[in-house]
Amino acid sequence: MQLLRSPDRWWALAGLVLSLSGATLIARQAIEDEQTLFETDARIVHRLLSQATVQHDAILATLTLLQPAPDTIGATPPEQRLPALYPHILAVQRRDRDGRWNDFALDAAEAASRQSRQPTLVSVDFSTGRYRMVLAALPTSYALTIDLRAMVAQTEWPMDPLSSPVLVALAYAGQQYVIQTGSPQTMASTRGWRMEFHKHLAAASQPFDVVAVCHLGWAQLPWWRMLVWVAGVCVALSVVYQWWRQRRERRRAEELLRLGQVARLNTLGELAAGMAHELNQPLTAVLANTQAAQRLLKDDPPDLQTAQGAMTQAAAQARRAADVVSRLRQAIERPDASQVSRALNLKEAVQRAMYLLEPESRRRAVAPRLLAPEVVTVQADPVALEQVIHNLLMNALQALEQVNIGTRFIELVVSAQDGRGVLTVTDNGSGIPAEALSHLFEPFFSTREGGLGLGLNLCETLTHAMGGTLTGANAAGRGAVFALSLPLHQSSA
Amino acid sequence: MNTSVATSLSPAVHLIDDDAAVRESLALLIGTVGLRVQTWSDPQAFLEGFEREAIGAIVLDVRMPGISGLTLLDTLVAQGVDQPVIMLTGHGTVDMCRRAFKAGAAEFLEKPVDDELLLEALQIAVRQHVGSRRRQMADLEARERFQQLSGRESEVLGMIVAGLTNKEIARAIGLSPRTVETHRANVFHKLQAESLAQLIRQYASLVDGEAD
Repeated sequence: MQLLRSPDRWWALAGLVLSLSGATLIARQAIEDEQTLFETDARIVHRLLSQATVQHDAILATLTLLQPAPDTIGATPPEQRLPALYPHILAVQRRDRDGRWNDFALDAAEAASRQSRQPTLVSVDFSTGRYRMVLAALPTSYALTIDLRAMVAQTEWPMDPLSSPVLVALAYAGQQYVIQTGSPQTMASTRGWRMEFHKHLAAASQPFDVVAVCHLGWAQLPWWRMLVWVAGVCVALSVVYQWWRQRRERRRAEELLRLGQVARLNTLGELAAGMAHELNQPLTAVLANTQAAQRLLKDDPPDLQTAQGAMTQAAAQARRAADVVSRLRQAIERPDASQVSRALNLKEAVQRAMYLLEPESRRRAVAPRLLAPEVVTVQADPVALEQVIHNLLMNALQALEQVNIGTRFIELVVSAQDGRGVLTVTDNGSGIPAEALSHLFEPFFSTREGGLGLGLNLCETLTHAMGGTLTGANAAGRGAVFALSLPLHQSSA
Repeated sequence: MNTSVATSLSPAVHLIDDDAAVRESLALLIGTVGLRVQTWSDPQAFLEGFEREAIGAIVLDVRMPGISGLTLLDTLVAQGVDQPVIMLTGHGTVDMCRRAFKAGAAEFLEKPVDDELLLEALQIAVRQHVGSRRRQMADLEARERFQQLSGRESEVLGMIVAGLTNKEIARAIGLSPRTVETHRANVFHKLQAESLAQLIRQYASLVDGEAD
């Protein structure tokens, strides 16, 4: 339920739609395949049965055409050998010249056949699976008794008669002869899909209908394939969803970081303005009081009493200024670094800073190179360490602004030296001016236009709090190199 | 809170700052050079209570609760206050400085302010104000004298200022040169002018004003 209310519900909905439509397609494809298969089988059955009936016509026509040879009378007539050749011909009867059938049905059928000059059905008994047909001729007419069961050879039958779900039957004048029973639910079940096939046999003399019925129940749908599809959709969607969420999280994190940095800068600006006012007021009073006292003491005669009052005021105001500074320090004092310090992979910390500054690097067309041949685990405060690396890398990037694009170069090297983890950041910028070298870490000292001059000072403060050292020098050749040295984590030392 | 140190005849410096320590120390410092100081903690009270006629200067902190220094400066200028205004600020930006001068500030100083700078600025301001008040006075007197001239006399004065000789004036207004000479003498007497140069300097603007 919570999923439905969250913004992720679209993912759930997409999964549902994809699963259902895919499964429906699979089911429909399966039903269509079954239908095609069924119709093919039914058509084959129809062709086989038609062939047999046409064969009956042909046999009768041949027999009547040949007529019995006169010299064979008395011997076994050749037509009596037919049942042995054709299993579906049970018996052959003949009425010789002036002979009689002794069967009213045969008489009537022969009369009809004589009129139509076509083979004619004599009697149809589907309950025993037999029928008779006759072809009238002169002098001798022939009649055949056919066994429906044997009309199609087992080997030619397209389906397995025992397992096939298809019901196959012949229908004629209300009678039905079932050739293949099919599955029991074929006739009974009303749920699912019903496929039917009706067609007259090809021989007009035997006007039987071929009926084929097949029923496809819900249970016969390809559930496994559908299930696999749904599972596949779920897996694929959740993979995409995870990827999408991670990307969103990352973007949000980056956005927050950027906002945080802007906020920090704003706070710093406000702090500077507020500090200026809060300190300037008492300093103004101190200066005015002392200078007034100087003037009063220079007078002739000096106004000692007023001058003393002014000096008392000056002292009080100097104390007020000191209070402002100590309050400020309390406000921005960081918690003891040892409490938050833990084992950190120095290389990973560097990679994180590089990742965060990637837009800045790209903007300046610099690809900082990281060399970290061994795993170096230092003991440090993660936030402070990140801030220090961030500032060092940012400084290096800014130092390259005067350097031609294409020759800009930054190298970060992580190593362990003398039991300490060391990170050096080297750039090929203009380096550090000689007069600035001794002021590098002083607050409010900056060689950059518009720089507050707090970056390296903050770095040094944070580094010291972690028990580390930070040094800056000019690199061999050109540019500057800053080295951050931190204590190694105990267990790895 | 306001403190009168000397008589209302000596120049008065009005000091407006919400910080008592700053106010008192600056008042003490300004007092050492003999200037009368009146301190105000509230800009509104200052606007309502300060003596507008007296010679002096105004020292204003830019950052104050309620009305900001720059707004107060605008108000003073709009009300026609002619005392020079010296602005003080804790952290002056170039933009703020430009705005202050544009609004009519006489000086813009940063806190903490050095005594030499502040006192010199104040002395210049007071001197300026005395000068401008004197010019104002002179203008007023000149106008009063100018009002005493008769119609014919002011007509003659206009022609004198325009650079015409007696003869030319006589011809222009159809009088004898002698009569013009009399009018001219009356003009010089009534306007208390010692020389033609002084007459032209003091009254040319008034004559032009009449003509408009």
